[in-house]
Amino acid sequence: MALLEMRGLTKIYDQGKIEVPALRGIDLTVEKGEFTTIFGPSGSGKTTLLNLIGCLDRPTAGTIIFDGQELGGLDKKDLAIIRRHHVGFVFQSYNLIPVLTAYENVEFAIRLVNKYEKKEIRDRVMRILAAVGLAGLENRKPNELSGGQKQRVAIARALVKEPKLVLADEPSANLDSKTSEEVLQVMAKMNRELGTTFIFSTHDPLVMEYARRLIEIRDGQVAKDQRRE
Amino acid sequence: MRYLAKIAFKNLFRSKLRTIVSIAAIAFGVMIVVFSRGIIVGMVEQVFADHVHYNSGHIKIIDEGYQKRERLLTLNYPVDGLAGGGLEQMMAALGEIDHVEMVIPRLKFGAMVSTGDKLISMSGWGVNPEAELAFTDIEDYLAEGRMVTPGRQEVVMGTALLEEINCQVGEKVTVVFNTAYGSMRGVTFEIVGRIDSGLKLLNEMVFYLPLDQAQRLLEMEGQVTELLLVTADPELVPQVLPEVKALLVRAGEDSRYLALSYRETSDLIPLMDLSELIFNYVYFFLVLLSCIVVINTMIMIIRERTREIGMMTALGLEAKNILQLFVIEGAFMGIAGSLVGSVLGHLLTAYLGKTGFDYGQALSGMDTEVLFDTMFYPVASTANAIFAFVLGVVVVTLACLFPARRAARLQPTAAMREGGQ
Repeated sequence: MALLEMRGLTKIYDQGKIEVPALRGIDLTVEKGEFTTIFGPSGSGKTTLLNLIGCLDRPTAGTIIFDGQELGGLDKKDLAIIRRHHVGFVFQSYNLIPVLTAYENVEFAIRLVNKYEKKEIRDRVMRILAAVGLAGLENRKPNELSGGQKQRVAIARALVKEPKLVLADEPSANLDSKTSEEVLQVMAKMNRELGTTFIFSTHDPLVMEYARRLIEIRDGQVAKDQRRE
Repeated sequence: MRYLAKIAFKNLFRSKLRTIVSIAAIAFGVMIVVFSRGIIVGMVEQVFADHVHYNSGHIKIIDEGYQKRERLLTLNYPVDGLAGGGLEQMMAALGEIDHVEMVIPRLKFGAMVSTGDKLISMSGWGVNPEAELAFTDIEDYLAEGRMVTPGRQEVVMGTALLEEINCQVGEKVTVVFNTAYGSMRGVTFEIVGRIDSGLKLLNEMVFYLPLDQAQRLLEMEGQVTELLLVTADPELVPQVLPEVKALLVRAGEDSRYLALSYRETSDLIPLMDLSELIFNYVYFFLVLLSCIVVINTMIMIIRERTREIGMMTALGLEAKNILQLFVIEGAFMGIAGSLVGSVLGHLLTAYLGKTGFDYGQALSGMDTEVLFDTMFYPVASTANAIFAFVLGVVVVTLACLFPARRAARLQPTAAMREGGQ
């Protein structure tokens, strides 16, 4: 069953008098539960595609249907609601809030959803922190955690609200290969156990190894779309 | 909102030094507001009290002709009762009006003392000592000796005046004056007290003597130059004044006597009221000035947290929540700074309210008739501290809207790109 359907997706950045096309009519379908990697050279349009999928930006032309809902007609507030409830983000540089502990950083995402009781929030946060291997470190602040641990907190923050989709932009870029592998294993486990759809944007061959679908973007178009078992 | 407030509070501790500097700037501004407002209020209260005590009471009754010649201290236009009923009866009738607490008689006249080589001009005030002590703060100014006693030929004089005539308490002084009939008279009085007041009028010009003695010596039995009415509260004057005028009308004396409120007899009080109003704007701009530090801090904070703002937006925080987050953070700084500033300002004002400021040198050239005390005592009041606190919090919070709106308008993708640089 399709979680995402993109038809003729085009994005042109208007830089003064020059128009820079970032995406040129992309057609893609992403099924629920997929573990997909988008790769390609710098400037190929990977991040732009991720931004459009993540409701952070609007396409110049084309349509995106997210879980049966067409995003084109939604205003900023509705897009924020979709992000809040259904999309998790993992960023290259973790983007944790430095004054909050690991627990509070994860709690932040679920508090925004605003539908859980206090106790349920606590249970969910503790459960997801344990699942990403951070049990016992919940009271540490980001500056007391290693790069891998920070990225695990970011993964826990993305997953705690049980989103339909997690978007990870270069999640291993700041990690060594051993830590990258650990982090990827965590995400693969979450994908298997929770059925969450993951889409990565990366240059990292290790991430590509873990992916069950590889989409190559070149000059704003899909150059290759390969599924593997 | 409570959750955002919690995060905003924690954010204050990110850069403690910067937060402390911002809070200190607000505290300084608010402290100056408390202090300057204390000075202004103190000045206004003092000008009001001096005017009421030594010029007009809350309502002053004089002869219409006296008003035009008051500076000459003429004795030709006395207050001597209503429709021939005598002064005592008039005072009793005025005292029966609702909210009138005291009726103070004064008989003012011009006088001179010769020091051998020059003549010193003075103003004699025949007073009921008991009433004066009860109504005015003259007792506080009595630096030596005592107030005059009815039936005795004695005077109390200001320190500067005593120096001018080379006399001291316990000595005798011969005063020359004109009686109501125009004949010149010289009378020797015993000096029983010395006044040391910041008011030039009391210090350099006035000498007190018992009213009965003044009336006898001036040949003005049953007469005074003015009657001062004291109400329970100055706010009651608009209510009492029409009743006083009605009494004068009923007695058929409305064309002879004037009943004037304290505001009608002072140029300074309306000026002070106006200055109080103008200073409210000055306070606003004072706090706004210290807000520049906070605004600068907020702009820096937003630049530093651009990527974080992008992350928050990506997680689903709406623009209004981002705005709230930064406004609350600014408001916390405003609350802390205003609290510290109002407490410090209150303590400073309270301390200087006891010691006072001596502006004697600066005001040395001022006319003795201007009732402006050379000692200022700032007034420390809780209301003043609360005013400055609220002003500080409101102005700082409003000022934070400007940088916070900038944060709220950031696009999540741009925010993440910008922050990544």
